[in-house]
Amino acid sequence: MADRAIKLLVIGESGVGKSSLIRRFVENKFDMNHDVTIGMDFKSKVMNVDGIDYKVALWDTAGAERFRSLTPSFYRKALGAILVYDITNRDSLVKLETWLAELDSYSDNPNIAIIVVGNKIDQERVVDREEGRKFARKHRALFIETSAKCDQFVSDVFKDVVEKIVSSEYFNNGNSSAGLDIASDRDLEASASTCYC
Amino acid sequence: MEDLLNEVVPQEDLERFEKKYHHELELDGEVTTDTKFEYAFCLVRSRYTNDIRKGIMILEELARTHPDGRRDYIYYLAFGNARIKEYSSGLKYCRAFLDIESNDQVRSLEKYIKKEIDKEVAKGMAVAGGAALVLGGILGLGIAMARNKQKREK
Repeated sequence: MADRAIKLLVIGESGVGKSSLIRRFVENKFDMNHDVTIGMDFKSKVMNVDGIDYKVALWDTAGAERFRSLTPSFYRKALGAILVYDITNRDSLVKLETWLAELDSYSDNPNIAIIVVGNKIDQERVVDREEGRKFARKHRALFIETSAKCDQFVSDVFKDVVEKIVSSEYFNNGNSSAGLDIASDRDLEASASTCYC
Repeated sequence: MEDLLNEVVPQEDLERFEKKYHHELELDGEVTTDTKFEYAFCLVRSRYTNDIRKGIMILEELARTHPDGRRDYIYYLAFGNARIKEYSSGLKYCRAFLDIESNDQVRSLEKYIKKEIDKEVAKGMAVAGGAALVLGGILGLGIAMARNKQKREK
């Protein structure tokens, strides 16, 4: 019954955990090995928001440089973008500026919903939570910190961005949506940053 | 996996990288590795079998001559072969990849190809089984008729 499709892109530097976040969300699995994504990968999951099923199509992109010139077409028709960085690697946050620029130039949707995700909170932090939050606010994006390894706040990433999309006035939803109100800098406090897995 | 295999390259992408490929060929007499790969990456995602075969040829050449990017070439060789239902070749490339490196994408592709091969085998057996039934029927009819004839002759 999930005939309403939502296309989401997952972008960011190589090794920050894009595929791991998707894998945790869709299959509830985590693999310690870092399998380097080749080109593009795709997974989908049905999500229910306010009693309506949506088929969420997740396009995972390779962070590797050689695929950059090849990926513009994948930005098309995306309703949301998940920008991932690694909180143990400051450069991966800095590079999100470049990824946002790519998104700006290739996306055909000026109202694309963006969420900035700081992954790997199970590891020793190098980037302050506040830095990530500031970056997200500057770009009018949602913000969250996660651990794909320990399954912390992973489903919130997808829930937050999908709720933002379906509650947007631009989203063409068969019946008028119930008007979910999500503040743009909504932020789940991650109290526990350690885990035992 | 099906969704990924069914995704068709936008025509404008294919044309853009085709133009770039031919432009380099005409201007320099040779094409850079990157341009070859870009073009092949579009070709193997085309809706036309001939395009996919052309893409496979380019990737085979790249895999031979440019070891640095081999993992990308081998994956898209498996991918292209799966798209034109050349399952045994597809499987061969998946295995070659997984011998060297663990990868979730390649494992999914391998699983998909194996499933399709099983389907084809099952279909083949159904056809063979059906043929045996028909043959059995004809034989049975022949025997019955022969008996009938014998009875009448008595």
